[in-house]
Amino acid sequence: MADFAGTVDAIRFALKRDRLILPICVAGLIGWMAIYVVSYNDLYGTQAELNALYKSVAGNPALVAMSGPTGGLRSLGGALSWDSTPTLSIIGGVFAMFSVIRHTRAEEEDGRTELLLTSGSGRLAPLAAAVTITSFALALASIGYVVALSIGGFEFGPSILLSLSLLGFGLVITGTTAIVAQVTGKARTARGLVGIVIGVAWLLRAIGDTGDGTLSWFSPLGWAQQTRPFWENRWWALLPPLAATGITFGLAFWQLARRDIGSGLIQPRPGPPAASPSLLHPLGFSLRLQRGTIIGWSSMLFLYGFAIGVMGNNIEDILKSSTAFTEAFASASGDLVDSYFASILTVIAIMAAGFTISSALRPHSEESRNRVAMLLAAPLGKVRWVAGHVLIAYVASAMVMALTGLGLGLGLGIATGDFGETGTLLGSGFAQVPAMWLTGSIAVLLFGISSRLSSLAWAILAAFVVIWTVASFGELPQWIVDLSPFSHVPAVPAVSLEVKPLLVMTLLAAAFTAAGLALWCRRDLL
Amino acid sequence: MSAAIEVEGLVKNFGSTRALDGLGLRVEAGQVHGFLGPNGSGKSTTIRILLGLIRASGGSARLFGEDPWKNAVSLHRRLAYVPGDVNLWPNLTGGETIDMLGSLRGGLDPKRRKDLVERFELDLTKKASTYSKGNRQKVALVAALATDAELFIFDEPTSGLDPLKEEVFHECVREITGEGHTVLLSSHILGQVQDLATMFTIIRAGKTVETGTLEELRQIAASAGRDPESLSLEDLFLGIYSS
Repeated sequence: MADFAGTVDAIRFALKRDRLILPICVAGLIGWMAIYVVSYNDLYGTQAELNALYKSVAGNPALVAMSGPTGGLRSLGGALSWDSTPTLSIIGGVFAMFSVIRHTRAEEEDGRTELLLTSGSGRLAPLAAAVTITSFALALASIGYVVALSIGGFEFGPSILLSLSLLGFGLVITGTTAIVAQVTGKARTARGLVGIVIGVAWLLRAIGDTGDGTLSWFSPLGWAQQTRPFWENRWWALLPPLAATGITFGLAFWQLARRDIGSGLIQPRPGPPAASPSLLHPLGFSLRLQRGTIIGWSSMLFLYGFAIGVMGNNIEDILKSSTAFTEAFASASGDLVDSYFASILTVIAIMAAGFTISSALRPHSEESRNRVAMLLAAPLGKVRWVAGHVLIAYVASAMVMALTGLGLGLGLGIATGDFGETGTLLGSGFAQVPAMWLTGSIAVLLFGISSRLSSLAWAILAAFVVIWTVASFGELPQWIVDLSPFSHVPAVPAVSLEVKPLLVMTLLAAAFTAAGLALWCRRDLL
Repeated sequence: MSAAIEVEGLVKNFGSTRALDGLGLRVEAGQVHGFLGPNGSGKSTTIRILLGLIRASGGSARLFGEDPWKNAVSLHRRLAYVPGDVNLWPNLTGGETIDMLGSLRGGLDPKRRKDLVERFELDLTKKASTYSKGNRQKVALVAALATDAELFIFDEPTSGLDPLKEEVFHECVREITGEGHTVLLSSHILGQVQDLATMFTIIRAGKTVETGTLEELRQIAASAGRDPESLSLEDLFLGIYSS
C-alpha cells in the first residue's frame, strides 16, 4: 500500500489544476444530454411521429451501422437512447482519454512525475489520482444525465440504466487509457492509440450490429447499447463493462508497479541523420510540424463526410417522420436532404474551426515551449515565421472542408449511384471556409496582442458552438446569433450561393490577420 | 577597433519589475568577452535584447553599430546563438534539426558539420525527444559552430555537457577566435570563462559592476586590500558578491 502513499494529495492537486476544465466538461456532457431530452420531446411529440421514425429507420443498414440496433425506436426513451448512446459514449470516452493522459503520461513526459515520486509520493499515486478524478467526473455527468432525463419526463429506472451504460463506456476507456499511458512513452502517441481504440470499438459494433451481432459483444461501445434502456432494460448487460473496468484498471496498476519511470514499452525509432530538402525551407519546416495534425483532421472529416453521405439517401424518410424536423429543414428550398447537408457542413466547419485555431496558434505553442529564440535568432523574420504557420492553417482549413464536401458527395454517390451532386457538395464545403478563417484570424489577433491572451480564442469558439446549438433548438436574440461567423454562411446546397457574406468574412479575416501580425511584430517574445 | 556590441544605460522593465537598470557592455570585434553575473542578474535579458527578441525599455544597445530590434534579420545573418536551455522539436532527429537551423542562414559547410558531429560525439539519428539535456545542447552547438558567423553569442552553452565535451567546446572557441570571430560568452563555469575570455564584464541586479581584463579586475581587488597575484576569476567574482 506504500505505493499509493500521497494519493489523496495527488487528487487534491489534480482537482486544483482542473478546477475550471473539469466542471466545464461535466457541464458540457450534461448539457448535451439535456439537448437530446429537449429535442426529442420537441421532435417526436406524438406516437404517430415515433412510428414514422421507426418505420423509416428500422432495419436500415446504414443507420444501424451508425447508431446501433433500432428495436427500441417505438418509444421516445428508446429513440433517445438509440441516438444518444454512441455520441455521448464517445464524447465521454474522449474526455476520459484527455483527462487520464493529462495527469499521467503527459506529466511523466515533462519530467514532473519524477519530481513528485522523489518527494515522498508513492509510485502508483499519480495514476490512482488520475483515474479517480476521471471516474468521479464521469459519475457526476451520469448523475446529471439521470436528472436531465427525469426532468424531461423520462422513466426513472431506464434513465438510470442508460446513464450507467454511458458511464460504463467512459470507465472502460479510462482503464484502457491508463494502460496505454503505461505502454507509450509519449502523450501524443497515447492519445492517438486510444483514439484508434475508440474507432475500432465503433467499427466492431457497426459490423456486428449489421450482421448477426456477435462482434458487437467484443466492443465496449457495443456493450453500452446492449443494455437497451426503455426497451428490454437488460441490467445484466452492465456486467461486461464492469468487468472490463476492473481488469483494465488492475492491468494498468500492475504495469506501472513493474516498469521504470520515464519509460514506455514503445520507444521512438531512430530517424534520418540529415534533413530532407523540404525541411530546408522555413515553410517546409512549419509544414512538417503541422503535417500530422493536418493528415489526421483531413482523413477524419473525409470519412465522417463520407459516412453522412452514405446515409443521405435514407435521411429524407427520417426527417419526414417528424413534423418539427420537416419545419426546421424545409426553410428556403424544398429539399430536405440539401438543408440537412448544409447544417451538417456547418457543424463540421465549427468543429474544424478548432483545427484552424490550433494550427494558426502553432506559433503560440512553440513560444510557450521556448523553441522560438533559436529560430528567430537566425535570419528568419518574425512576421515571415508566423505568417507561414497562419498560411498553412488557412490553406489546410480550406482543404479539410473541401475533403468533407467531397466525402459527402462520394458517399451520396455510392448510395444512390448518382455522382451528380459531388461538385455542388464540394463547393458547399468551401462555402464554410471564410467563417473558419475569420475564427482563426481572431486567434492570430489575440496572439499578436500577447501570448497569454491566445487561449481566449478557444473560449470564443466555444461561444460560437453554444450560439449555434442554442439557435438551432431555441430562441436567441438575433444580434447574439449574428455574433457568430457561422450564422452568416449561406445554407448551401439548400439555397443559392450568396457571395457577399463570404467576401466580407474573408476581408475581415485578412484585416484581423494583418493586425495580429503587426502587433506580434511589436511585442516582446515570451 | 570597432565594437561588435555596444550597450549603454540599458533598461528593461517587465511590468513593475526592473530586470536591467542601466547596464553597460562593450565587446570589441575579435574579442572573447566573458559576461558574468549570478542567476537573475540580467545576462539572458541583455542577450535577448541584443538578439532583437525583446525590446529595450531605455538606454541603447547596438550590434555592429545597428539597432538589433529594427534590423534583426540582417544582423542575424552575421551572428550565431546558443541558448543555455535548448528546447528542440521532439519529432525531428538531431541531424534534421541541425540542417534545418543551418538552412535558415543559407546552409552549413558539410565538412565542418561532419567534423563537429564527430568531435562532440553526437548521434544524429536520434529523435530530439530522446536526447538528454547535454545532447540537446550539442545539437545547438553544432548548428551554431558550423556557421560562418562574425559574432557568436553563447548563453551558458555547455550546461549539461560532460567535461570532455566541454573541452571540445573550448577548442572550438579557440579556433573561431583564431579566425578573428567575436564571442560573447555568458557562463557560470568561471574556470571556462577565465581560460577563454580576454575581457570580462560582471553584472549584478541589472547593473554593470566591473569590467576589464583579468589584470584590471585584479588591480581593483588589490586596491581593496587583497593579494592580486593569487586571485582567480572565481575569487574575484566571489569577492565582488560577498562584499
